[in-house]
Amino acid sequence: MLQINHLLKTYGEKRAVDDLTLHIAPGEIYGFIGHNGAGKTTTLKSVAGILQYDKGEILVNGISVKKEPIAAKQQIAYIPDNPDLYEFMTGIKYLNFVADVFGVSAALRQERIRKYSDLLELTADLAQPISAYSHGMKQKLAIISAWLHDPKLIIMDEPFVGLDPKASHLLKGMMREVCDQGGAIFFSTHVLEVAEKLCDKVAIIKSGKLIKSGTMEEVKGDTSLEQVFLELEG
Amino acid sequence: MLGVLLKKQLLETFRGFFVSQKKGKAKSKLAVVISFALYFLLMVVVIGGMFAMLAFSLCGTMYQIGLGWFYFALMSLMAILFGVFGSVFNTYAGLYKAKDNELLLSLPIPVRIIMASRLLSVYLMGLMFSGAVMVPAVVVACIVMPFSVGLVAGGIWLTFVISVFVLILSCALGWVVAKISGKLKNKSLITVLASLAFFVLYYYFYFRASEILQGILKNAAALGESIRGSAYPIYLVGRIGEGSLSAALIVTAAVFLMLALVWVIMERSFLKMATSDGSTGRIAYRERAVKRKSQDAAALGKEFGRFLASPNYILNCSLGTLFMVVAGVAVLLKGQLLRQVLMEVFGKNPDFVSVLAAAAVCTFCTMNDMVVPSVSLEGKSLWIYQSMPISAWQVLKAKMNLQLIMTMGPALFLCICLLIALQTAPLTAVLLLLTTMVFVVFSDAMGMWLGVLRPNLHWTNELYPIKQSLNVLIVLFSGTIYAIAMLGLFLWQGFKIGVTLYLTVFLVLTAAATAGLLIWLKNKGAKIFAHL
Repeated sequence: MLQINHLLKTYGEKRAVDDLTLHIAPGEIYGFIGHNGAGKTTTLKSVAGILQYDKGEILVNGISVKKEPIAAKQQIAYIPDNPDLYEFMTGIKYLNFVADVFGVSAALRQERIRKYSDLLELTADLAQPISAYSHGMKQKLAIISAWLHDPKLIIMDEPFVGLDPKASHLLKGMMREVCDQGGAIFFSTHVLEVAEKLCDKVAIIKSGKLIKSGTMEEVKGDTSLEQVFLELEG
Repeated sequence: MLGVLLKKQLLETFRGFFVSQKKGKAKSKLAVVISFALYFLLMVVVIGGMFAMLAFSLCGTMYQIGLGWFYFALMSLMAILFGVFGSVFNTYAGLYKAKDNELLLSLPIPVRIIMASRLLSVYLMGLMFSGAVMVPAVVVACIVMPFSVGLVAGGIWLTFVISVFVLILSCALGWVVAKISGKLKNKSLITVLASLAFFVLYYYFYFRASEILQGILKNAAALGESIRGSAYPIYLVGRIGEGSLSAALIVTAAVFLMLALVWVIMERSFLKMATSDGSTGRIAYRERAVKRKSQDAAALGKEFGRFLASPNYILNCSLGTLFMVVAGVAVLLKGQLLRQVLMEVFGKNPDFVSVLAAAAVCTFCTMNDMVVPSVSLEGKSLWIYQSMPISAWQVLKAKMNLQLIMTMGPALFLCICLLIALQTAPLTAVLLLLTTMVFVVFSDAMGMWLGVLRPNLHWTNELYPIKQSLNVLIVLFSGTIYAIAMLGLFLWQGFKIGVTLYLTVFLVLTAAATAGLLIWLKNKGAKIFAHL
């Protein structure tokens, strides 16, 4: 589903992501962990087609993010760490805008908006301006908008920040549902317990370099993910 | 603490002079000098020069009949009007809607200190505009009237007092706007309507200024006596300029008393207003059938939504639309008189009237510049477009289409009204229409070009990209320069080739420049936008 090959992204002299190679298969929830400034967000933004990278190749479902960005983005949904949405729109207008850009039919979008906004308990607030939303509500709206076009790959940067426990639980279920239907999830988190319980595979990045990746068992062995992470990041 | 906040506020206000909006890095010394020079050119040479000429026409006459105080009082009133006009639209957003309000409120800083630092921005804006009137007024007084230390000191003190009074009025109006907008549902519409009413009043007096001034000069003595008798505070204000210490003390005390009163009122409500989320009650959501829109229609709808949601955006960037419609109607109503006057003035060179009409429409079109800040206004939400399957060119087109829609119709209307009123020959009329329509696209493309090249995505207040940006200034200036060039070149050499060929040459050159800009935007501009 996602192939990142020898990705290099620099900011001036600094190598934010250095020769990173990572493959995610359909049906996998892939966790991405690392300390602050390790290169997680840069990698996720590069995959989402937001950042231009210097070297390497990123393929989403076989489509190059660099050569065919529009086709690649049609397969992806991206949720940033801080959901800065269009504050001048109401929730429902924002969802319709996203659905229009992704070409979701009227019937499908209504069905999905109803389903996910009911699930995340945001339906009653859809007519409110986004400027009146709390951080958690904005995060929920960003999640619903990401699920609207039935993406093959969902990229999320710290998706659980700001969500209440119930919404976090529901999001985990939604993530698993995407993967059960052949999609894939690539997300960063600092909550290692969540990564340990939720992810099929995990990658640890340090100073832009991938230092360990594989199935949860391969990475953590008999110890905890936290233990492994602290030892590697040491 | 106040010092730190004032420094932050000053850094934010003058950031555009020292920091590159494109790279977010410090500008070179040369770029800083150029920025300041452009600013100096506008505020001192253009605006200051205009008021200096006005001051010259008033000062001598009034001084000779012993009404020096009346001269200072008149200039002070103009400074107040100009100062409030210049800063009132910033006050509400600057005081209550700054993006770092919550950050500052979370720090151990007393609310009054935050408020004081915010007031500095409002004060500086008012000082800048009122100073553009008062400084030339004082300089002219020192030239025309017998020079004395009292005159200089009085003039300086009067400038200061007026700037504080402008602050008081701006704050009071900003407070009223905040109070009203907290209870309104269609805030944007009502704010725009109220502001337009203000504009209408302002321009009513502006266009009647010459008549009013003539009347004042003719009846200066009687008016002076009348003001002295019935509006004594105005007399006292005028006396400060002449160097009266007692007047200075009384007026200063009164002004500071008013400032204290405004401060107390504002301090009581600042926290509530600054933290209000703008919601006016819960709106129930009802599922409605929607139609799927194309990507282009969705992007255009989003641009219109952004535009209509912000009174600042509407008022600062789309006045051309209103003015062109009003001017068109005025031309239709007074067409015969207009034609008569123009023929009397330019009877020997009737072709010039057609060029003048084209230049006038182009100048009006330049007043619409909503495309210029449109990229910057994406701000932190830029990731949305960048992560979606929509090409950057489509996004840029949507931004440009907003301006085209808001400008082309009114420009066409004004053109047709002018053509009817001036009874322009058919071929010239077609060329005039084509030239102005191509200029609309040129101005649009140029605004987009600047917006993409020099975006400011890190603003804390939307007024920075909308109003206080060099991009906006460049577009406004270049439109005026285009119109002046059109007129000047015609008078210089153009008349020799005739209006038809002259307008054709202008049309071709403008179309070529527009095509160049559009090609750049579609290729390079789209690439830059995609990875800002």
